[in-house]
Amino acid sequence: MSRFRIALALAAGLLGMAGPALAQDVYPSRPITMVVPFPPGGVADLTARPVAAAMERTLKQPVGVVNKTGAAGAVGMQFAATSKPDGYTLLLALSSISIIPEADKLFGRPPAYTVDQLTPIALISADPTVLVVRTESPWKTAKDFIEDGRQRPGQISYSSSGIYGTLHMAMELLSHAAGIKLRHVPHAGAGPALTALLGGHVDALASGPAVVLPHIKAGKLRALAGWGESRVAALPDVPTFKELGYPDAEFYIWAGVFAPRGTPEPVLARLREALRTAVADPEFKGAMDKIETPIAFKQGDDFARFFAADAKRLAEGVRKVGKIDEKKP
Amino acid sequence: MLETLQNLALGFSVALQPPILFYAFAGCVIGTLVGVLPGVGPLAGISLLLPATFGLDATRAIVLLAGIYYGAMYGGSTTSILMRIPGEAASVMTCIDGYAMARKGRAGAALAIAAVGSFVAGTVSVVALMLLAPPLASFALRLGPPENFALLLLGLLVLAYMSGGSMLKSLAMAALGLLLGMVGIDPMSGYFRFAYGVVELGDGIGVVPLAVGLFGLAEVLASAGQPTPPRVQKPKLRELLPSRQEWRNSMAPIGRGTVLGFLIGIVPGSAHIISSFVSYAVERRLSRHPEEFGHGAVAGVAGPESANNSATSGAFVPMLALGVPSGPIPAVMLAALMVHGVSPGPLLIQQQPALFWGFIASMYVGNVMLLMLNLPMVGLFVNVLRIPYGLLYPAIIVFCVVGVYAVNGSVVDVWIAVIMGVLGWLLRKLDFETAPIVLGAILAPLLEMSLRQSLAMSDGHYAIFVTRPIAAVLLAVGAALLLLGLRAWIVRGLDWRGRLALAEKGDAP
Amino acid sequence: MLTIDRAGGGALGLFALWVLWECRRLPLGSWREPGPGAFPAALALVALGLGVAIVAFGGRATRLRDVDWRETKRALVIVAAGAFLTLGLEPLGYRLSVLVILLFLVGAVERRGLVTTAAFAAGMAWGSFYLFNTLLKVPLPVGPLGF
Repeated sequence: MSRFRIALALAAGLLGMAGPALAQDVYPSRPITMVVPFPPGGVADLTARPVAAAMERTLKQPVGVVNKTGAAGAVGMQFAATSKPDGYTLLLALSSISIIPEADKLFGRPPAYTVDQLTPIALISADPTVLVVRTESPWKTAKDFIEDGRQRPGQISYSSSGIYGTLHMAMELLSHAAGIKLRHVPHAGAGPALTALLGGHVDALASGPAVVLPHIKAGKLRALAGWGESRVAALPDVPTFKELGYPDAEFYIWAGVFAPRGTPEPVLARLREALRTAVADPEFKGAMDKIETPIAFKQGDDFARFFAADAKRLAEGVRKVGKIDEKKP
Repeated sequence: MLETLQNLALGFSVALQPPILFYAFAGCVIGTLVGVLPGVGPLAGISLLLPATFGLDATRAIVLLAGIYYGAMYGGSTTSILMRIPGEAASVMTCIDGYAMARKGRAGAALAIAAVGSFVAGTVSVVALMLLAPPLASFALRLGPPENFALLLLGLLVLAYMSGGSMLKSLAMAALGLLLGMVGIDPMSGYFRFAYGVVELGDGIGVVPLAVGLFGLAEVLASAGQPTPPRVQKPKLRELLPSRQEWRNSMAPIGRGTVLGFLIGIVPGSAHIISSFVSYAVERRLSRHPEEFGHGAVAGVAGPESANNSATSGAFVPMLALGVPSGPIPAVMLAALMVHGVSPGPLLIQQQPALFWGFIASMYVGNVMLLMLNLPMVGLFVNVLRIPYGLLYPAIIVFCVVGVYAVNGSVVDVWIAVIMGVLGWLLRKLDFETAPIVLGAILAPLLEMSLRQSLAMSDGHYAIFVTRPIAAVLLAVGAALLLLGLRAWIVRGLDWRGRLALAEKGDAP
Repeated sequence: MLTIDRAGGGALGLFALWVLWECRRLPLGSWREPGPGAFPAALALVALGLGVAIVAFGGRATRLRDVDWRETKRALVIVAAGAFLTLGLEPLGYRLSVLVILLFLVGAVERRGLVTTAAFAAGMAWGSFYLFNTLLKVPLPVGPLGF
């Protein structure tokens, strides 16, 4: 063979080797960003940081949490959904991720993002909401509450963190399941919603257990029932709505990790593995204990199923709520 | 009383330990820096540094974060006075008279009064926090949507007293501000209002871009092209401190500002920023020389600066006594406590006395540290005025842009600031006041929300405002103030018409 | 004659009319349950009223052309620089955009010497980036060129 051809063959061979070598640029090779669409100090943020820290230990690359807040989470979710699907931008979202596009559809406006633009990777935690009332109120059990609700439709008021928000949807699911009508007073966030209940301005609240536990222990609030499949560990005496005969009233404020659709499968697999290791990490467990959020890890198909079922429930809930002005008095 | 002193002794024993002192100091320094930088306010500062506190223990974390919070209130007055750029939204009112004082060569005096006022307010309000936290917090809880609505209406009345010049024009600017506040997602119905598909506008036009644009950027636009640019100041040491007369003039406003700010801070859901606006209006109303306001009235600096400092202590009252956040900043601090395993709630003071009293004691210490930091730095800061304006204003623009961007990482915010800068400049040319716009934009969404919440609570019956005692009293006070104000306006108006008639007679050939 | 009051009041009135027009898509609700359009519409009416009042009483104010407009040209240039900075923040990156507009403002507009301009612009761009991005941990956009 001529020297030229040998050179060509060598070059081709080298390129051939370099090809897969370049492709083996192992993920992750640079820092990863985890987008949290909620302000610092909130449930999502406090869950995301231990997750990011644990992932850092496994993936050996910095995982930085970036808060991109606004529009009840829509800003950050839109940002993540439209990012490059290369695995370097992840999203930690709460259950409201399924609600926002539905609400957008309800109002006939182009959605900020759609759930299809995101691939679910893993579920980290799933806090069932609990129904709380003040200790001075006349309802001692959930049964009392529902009975009263049936007899006095539209008289019992409850606060929420905002319309179509997680705390609102939880109550709505209950209202439909139990056939009662309650009066909704939206507030600007979970904090003001709790304040309103404590101050006696509303009668009830659906809340994540962590924030109300200190008040229950101090004797100011009473938990009537929970929206979970099983009882809250810290409140063993509080029955679930499922037990009480309302299986449709199932609601969790869950936190899960997502990636933009189109992220390559090997990257997704690596992330799933990293998250599985992360939730077993003792430091992570300790951090979650401190914020009183039980770990509920689901992955891959499990999570996809959970997510789809939850999304369906919430979408229907939003549709049933409808637009406020279209309600007949 | 004895028990309080014992607890305080416990608190100081915690607060004076070197590590805690260090973190308090770090918080104060960072807070001052955050306050000095335009736009970046305490919320942004605390949010950014929250993750850094995860490795510390609860007391250190909370001492650090609180230091940032009230430190920012000290630092915010600096750029407001020197360059008419609000260091944070709460310092907007200081821009008006503080900058006027600086133009008159009294920048050092203004800075010193702001620092001392902040110190007095900070210290006194911590005492109030210490002694009155539980009963005040219980009272604050009873303020629900109807009471908030009544309070906010009172706040609107404040608008009328905020500016000199034409009342009509001030009200018009207030109306503009109120309209700007309507942008965003309607929290009661979920509709996106006036957002035109821009998701970032979902939470409305931010106060920070609005304030920085209307005051900071507008100032640059108005001054940069002047044939004689703002005079470079070379203040002498003697001129740095306030005169005895200035001190005398500032004492009562400091006192009033302290009380006012603290009360506003306690109310959950009120925007603590409005404490400085309300204080300014009160000072102007009570002043014997209201015409000075806008041209360098000492009370216009002393009052608002004290008010915004004591509002921070007021904000801690519901947070510590009940575990309930009265605003976004206490909410972040509560989260910080939770992360460290301290469950905030009504029993916090009893269960964690070392934390609570250590925190209180470190606030005393922090205020002293800030006074010692800020007073000598007056001389340093005033030298900023020596920089030739041609170099200063590009720097100002850069700092404003970064400051606004830093709050949310959003370019939309920067656009808002730029647009508001142009608007602010035009309004200056047309002789319209811009401060009412900021207050209006803050109040509008709160007003609307509390009205509609009250109606939701009462199923549409307006009687709720009269049947609830606190709300009824507040509304009555508001009505009384309004009537008094109207009467004064009519009387003055009659004079005006009389004078006009005389003038016309004189002009007629 | 066009006075400053009339110009301002007129602009406000027009703005209020535009807001009212935009409100048409929002449900007004009822007295018992005001809808999302109620408050904006009411405020727009108030603003309209105030605008009209200012125009009506505004005849005795300063004339528009008597106002000192001398700084307008410079102000517009600064606005353009500000707009460029905002446009360039994310596509070009923070440091590059700041460098460009500072070179422009200090060098071309303010006509400072080459050394002063270059030193100031570079110092501000990199210095402020360090202060915010590194010290205060505020993520600032980094463009494709690395700054």
